[in-house]
Amino acid sequence: MKEPFSGQDWRLWLRRVGAMTRKELLQLLRDPVLLFVILYGFTADVYNAGSGVTLQLQHAAFAVHDLDRSAASRELAGRLLPPEFKPIGAITDARQGERLLDSGQALMVLSIPPQFGRDLAAGAPTAVQVQIDATNTALGFLAYSYTTQIFGQYAIEAGLRNQGLSPTALDSLARVDNRQRVWFNPNQDDGWFMSISELLNVITAFAILLPAAFMVREKERGTIEQLLVSPLTPFQVMAPKVLAMTLVIHIGILICLFGILEPVFHVPIKGSLTLFALVTTLYVVNLSGLGLFIATVTRNLAQAAMMGILVLAPMMFLSGIWTPPEAMPIVARALMYISPLYYYMNASYGILLKGAGLRTIAPSILGILLLGGAVCGFGLWRFRRQFD
Amino acid sequence: MAAPALVSGPAAGNPATVVRARGFGKRYRGRNAVEGLDLEIHAGELFGLIGPDGAGKSSLIKSIAGVLRFEAGSLEVFGVPLLSDDACERIKDRIGFMPQGLGQNLYPELTVEENIDFFARLRLVPHSALAQRKAELLAITRLAPFTGRAMKHLSGGMKQKLGLVCTLIHEPRLVILDEPTTGVDPVSRRDFWLILGRLLRERNISALVSTAYMDEASSFHRVGLMFGGRLLAAGQPGEIRALAQGALVSVEAGAEVGQQAAALAQLRARFAQVDALGSAIRVFVDQGDDIQAADMVRQALPALPPQAVAAVEPELEDIFVALLRQRGLARPAQDRTSPPPARRQDADAPAIEAHELTRDFGAFRAADRVSFNVRGGQVFGLLGANGAGKSTVIKMLTGILQPSAGSGRVAGADMRSAGFAIKERIGYMSQAFSLYLDLTVEENVRLYGGIYGLDRAAIRSRLQWISEVAELKGYERERAARLPMGLRQRLALGCALVHQPRVLFLDEPTSGVDPIGRRAFWDMLFHLSRFDGVAILVTTHYMSEAEHCDRLALMYAGRVVAEDSPSGMKNALERDCGMLLEINAPEPQAALLALQRNGFAAAALFGNRIRIQSRQAEADSARLPELLRQAGQPGVTVVRRAPSMEDVFVQRVTALEAAELNARKTAR
Repeated sequence: MKEPFSGQDWRLWLRRVGAMTRKELLQLLRDPVLLFVILYGFTADVYNAGSGVTLQLQHAAFAVHDLDRSAASRELAGRLLPPEFKPIGAITDARQGERLLDSGQALMVLSIPPQFGRDLAAGAPTAVQVQIDATNTALGFLAYSYTTQIFGQYAIEAGLRNQGLSPTALDSLARVDNRQRVWFNPNQDDGWFMSISELLNVITAFAILLPAAFMVREKERGTIEQLLVSPLTPFQVMAPKVLAMTLVIHIGILICLFGILEPVFHVPIKGSLTLFALVTTLYVVNLSGLGLFIATVTRNLAQAAMMGILVLAPMMFLSGIWTPPEAMPIVARALMYISPLYYYMNASYGILLKGAGLRTIAPSILGILLLGGAVCGFGLWRFRRQFD
Repeated sequence: MAAPALVSGPAAGNPATVVRARGFGKRYRGRNAVEGLDLEIHAGELFGLIGPDGAGKSSLIKSIAGVLRFEAGSLEVFGVPLLSDDACERIKDRIGFMPQGLGQNLYPELTVEENIDFFARLRLVPHSALAQRKAELLAITRLAPFTGRAMKHLSGGMKQKLGLVCTLIHEPRLVILDEPTTGVDPVSRRDFWLILGRLLRERNISALVSTAYMDEASSFHRVGLMFGGRLLAAGQPGEIRALAQGALVSVEAGAEVGQQAAALAQLRARFAQVDALGSAIRVFVDQGDDIQAADMVRQALPALPPQAVAAVEPELEDIFVALLRQRGLARPAQDRTSPPPARRQDADAPAIEAHELTRDFGAFRAADRVSFNVRGGQVFGLLGANGAGKSTVIKMLTGILQPSAGSGRVAGADMRSAGFAIKERIGYMSQAFSLYLDLTVEENVRLYGGIYGLDRAAIRSRLQWISEVAELKGYERERAARLPMGLRQRLALGCALVHQPRVLFLDEPTSGVDPIGRRAFWDMLFHLSRFDGVAILVTTHYMSEAEHCDRLALMYAGRVVAEDSPSGMKNALERDCGMLLEINAPEPQAALLALQRNGFAAAALFGNRIRIQSRQAEADSARLPELLRQAGQPGVTVVRRAPSMEDVFVQRVTALEAAELNARKTAR
């Protein structure tokens, strides 16, 4: 049915796609709500994630039930220091501790038995009790390991003292000194990690939702009918929507990188921005297939948005942002390897934080290409099929 | 059945007033939607509000229903002044309100019965009364066999009948229906009005309804004409007709295209309201009676034989346009003198050829061996109820849908093998107008220009042409959303014409456009077909529009059941079923019963008038007044009415439905 392309045909092709892309951008510019959502996503949302979400233990409230009231017990409790810990006072009753834990006012309750100081001085074994609210498992775990470490250190020092040795005598003992070198984020600043991962989430969300919204809007208003009877091929209807979305996302990324990430979180952008832009283009174009698929199975914007959330949530869970792949059960890990976001994330952290070049991130690019290509092909196929 | 004493129509003396508005006004953001409106609705009356979109009908209706506040004047319903929310609450149990939109107040997932029960519970209908009321209403609306069906699976007409049942279940004294028949096919529309009329009579309920269909006015007791937020006139349909001075004259200028165009130009030079209607021209002459008006038109066209000019009875729409014009509220259509009748060489070549087009969806045959031809320069109308197969045929011809069998050629290309070539040569405009509302007029034209591959220079010249022909000058930078419907429609037509197609498809193109806008639109189509030789295929629900077509095909159950010119179809109807007689009786209800007892079983009441079909029109018109006088109904007049396209449609489709039902019965 198609005749071979001549120069004239190419001009016609470009004119058609050009007219449609212009239209998509104009429509977007005249939609204040959508513009606001996009701007919010690339600025305030990333800011909130970077400044608000932390994976460290901070200001963990604890109460002390001290039945000993000796110098030793005070010193032990005094070892739990800010900023990780925050004392909220002493309690006199075990019930009170339970209540504090139940109401969430305290994350931990430290109970020190009577005779604690005397036993220590006498060189007899003794114990303390730490009750931890592990509703939030990560925080509970951190509180547990911090206190274990701190009290362990205290026990060693107390032991040394008991033997009449000074704490510096520790250095003369044979032991393994654990010295860490933290790469890529030397201060282990959560803001870097969280803001970048939120940016990647936002890119993913818009790459799926924007084409779906553009498409569903045509369905809702009945303009799709007009396009169907025009000499546009399904590809010419679809490509401008993807193009417009890609352009918008790139502008959003620039705003986010130079308006939020650099000035606010001081994220060092080490790698090549051009490479990042290229990888992003590849990623969003491929992912738009998912958006187009959503548009084929939904009838209005509300349905498309709901469906989008349904698709996005597992993608983000399985991307490795919230849990590293190694910690996942086998099935989830296998699923993760088919989430395009996982590969995009690896490539992006590589470029932005590690300054990685094309060679380093080549496997990730391959992942994006293969998986994204499949997603995109599926979307295009569904999209074409609804025209028949 | 109702005894004559119970009939409290407008003829029954001095009836009680149900609604009284004085100086009523409603404002939205400083803009007047309605102003200075005085209106009275009497008990037992079917009062129709007629007017285009944006005339203020809905604002008035919602205020009367007590669901919208208003700013100016006073409004009394059942004698209660609607001054506060409290007052509105006090009248609500006596009111039934059905909002605009098909089945808008119903729940699609619930069944017919569940919907009724829900509204009954909402209105605290006692359980003991519900069963009987429900049975009665379901019987009258003939919905009883479908009580278990989900509302979303009902046809448009059935949804509206169910809406009516739900509105009536608490036995209100006043029902308010906002455009209950918009989007409903003519057969169901007529059925709806007959049912409503019967319910009002039997229960002595008053009704306030609004409609955008001018031709429905004849089924109302009184009508109010609204335009631009004002009530132009109110009264019985006959009284409204008498308001506009002058007479309507029809001219058959000749079969040649040039002759009709020349006559049109000559007439427009002398008369203000001149419109082409198919092969005829309609002239509204502002002075004189029928005879004088016809003479004036003959003088304007000395070349024509005198019998080519005749006075005809004006439709309410003609009167409406004349009223607006005579009061200086609307500009008359302008003559587009520019294009000379130089016709394209291929103008008479067949533009659309459909040969035995068939399309199956599973076991369902949506189009069944549909064949017809449309020449260049011809306006071809495809009529049919919802689901008759019109859209399927258009979709096949425009290349959206592949036919299961059959063949066709559109604009010289085979629709099976050259689908893409067809798309480049046709224009298409849908019901939704398919405009991008957030783009400006100019941006819309540029977009479609780009889609059809026009270069910048070509787009610029087409933009010029469109804004001239569609009278869009000065609106170029206005967003499409802000245009009035009439302009929006002409812009959509302009966009469909951006690449100068040879064939134009219009799928229900005039919904929601006021009569003045509709006339301008048809004027544009007339010029396109006559001067540019464009073939136009149009589907429509508005039977008054079918009159504009050169040829019509009537579709039923996927088949073309009749194909003829509008006048040919009307003649065939009179030949097959007899003449249409309209009886004006002082007591229409009693006269109707008398007629039904005397062998006119099919007599039906339309507003205040009774209609019958008669094979001996002459004899019947002579003997009916006497027959009714003997039955105790003196003072009856009988007039012969020419059938409208709607009469043709309803008659044909009803007959086909009956035949199908019979066939199914015999098969069993």
